[in-house]
Amino acid sequence: MVFTGLTQQSVIGLITRSSSKYRVNIIVDRCKECGICISVCPTKVLERSNILNKYGYHPPEPVNIDKCIGCKLCEYNCPDFAVFIEKVG
Amino acid sequence: MAITYTHPLDKHLRLERIPTLYCPGCGLGIGLGAMLRALDKRISEGVIDPRKVFWVGGIGCTARMVFYVNYDAAHVIHGRSIPFAIGAVLANPELKAIVVGGDGDIAGIGGNHLVHAARRNIDMIVVMFTNFVYAMTGGQVAPTTPRKVKTTTTPYGNPEYPMNAVKLVGSLNANYVARASVTTPHYIEQFFYKALGMSGFRFIEVVSTCPEVYGRHIGLRDPVEMYNELKKRVKYKHKPSLEEAEIDWEKGIVIGEFIERNNPSFIEILRGGQA
Ligand SMILES: Cc1ncc(C[n+]2csc(CCOP(=O)(O)OP(=O)(O)O)c2C)c(N)n1
Ligand code: SF4
Ligand code: SF4
Ligand code: SF4
Repeated sequence: MVFTGLTQQSVIGLITRSSSKYRVNIIVDRCKECGICISVCPTKVLERSNILNKYGYHPPEPVNIDKCIGCKLCEYNCPDFAVFIEKVG
Repeated sequence: MAITYTHPLDKHLRLERIPTLYCPGCGLGIGLGAMLRALDKRISEGVIDPRKVFWVGGIGCTARMVFYVNYDAAHVIHGRSIPFAIGAVLANPELKAIVVGGDGDIAGIGGNHLVHAARRNIDMIVVMFTNFVYAMTGGQVAPTTPRKVKTTTTPYGNPEYPMNAVKLVGSLNANYVARASVTTPHYIEQFFYKALGMSGFRFIEVVSTCPEVYGRHIGLRDPVEMYNELKKRVKYKHKPSLEEAEIDWEKGIVIGEFIERNNPSFIEILRGGQA
């Protein structure tokens, strides 16, 4: 699913998936495809997607969202402020 | 279910300048994120007034961070971020100065300023990102480059011994000296949070990854590979001594809080505290 939403500044594309506990969000056009989030995730939630962002990079996709434990390692290790985790419910 | 469209750190960033100019997988963004989370906490606790926060950077990839933060900031001459910050805090002691710079900016060309600001315990936080080269200019040898590494200015291997900035600053009168790594963003956050609540000279060295330039020199061009190789070498110690402050690609990199003092800061002394 790719949503388009309004931030204070601009329109952003978001890849977002939720489990019953956590939502993983990826800001499409901020990603530089470094792969660090995919590598640090302890439960292998993330995979490189086929989506091409406006700079030509493939952002990750939370394919195994049900395995997310909400540790935020992906959020804290993304060098480009492109991932954020929310608690659901 | 409402969906949030903003990253929790967006309010601290100049979003019109994001994405940064940093190369994919550069560790600098991880460090900046950790610092902003700590700052966010201190602001919400009421300990720091965001209008008094003031960032200073010299020249280099690291120093460029000041372009990206949604605070008052100055981008000054290479190596001169510390003296610029000294002038600012002496003119307006209410300011909370945060100096960011690379190992070249802070410990190389700016090394003398680092020494004397620490000796005088001047009120500021200096966060030095060590990526082992002059990255922005293409990978020349830096004072932190390990021996034998081939850089653009040491094509036969670096003949010099690297400096240990934690030992140097720790031997002076700094109130806080710590080291973390971009592979441990929680420690960057924790140490910067601590530093934000203190006075005097506070120094944090953050060992960072530069896959684009340093990675190319040492055969770790892939950001994930470089991150993992750095991570393997980093060892956290609880309150280690300065003697334990090893930073050696072969023997390991010790991180932790080396020095925590409550000595009167330069401004406190000027205001009539004990000399
Ligand atoms: C006075 C002066 N000398 C040299 C330069 C060229 N220069 C620009 S950035 C840089 C080094 C940057 O290295 P570092 O401070 O380690 O930061 P990094 O890019 O690695 O983060 C140099 C030498 C300059 N801009 N000004
Ligand atoms: S929060 Fe943790 S478990 Fe969930 S995707 Fe991120 S790294 Fe993986
Ligand atoms: S860590 Fe950030 S920039 Fe790197 S691949 Fe993941 S989302 Fe993209
Ligand atoms: S040259 Fe190195 S330090 Fe500079 S942005 Fe690229 S990876 Fe980061």
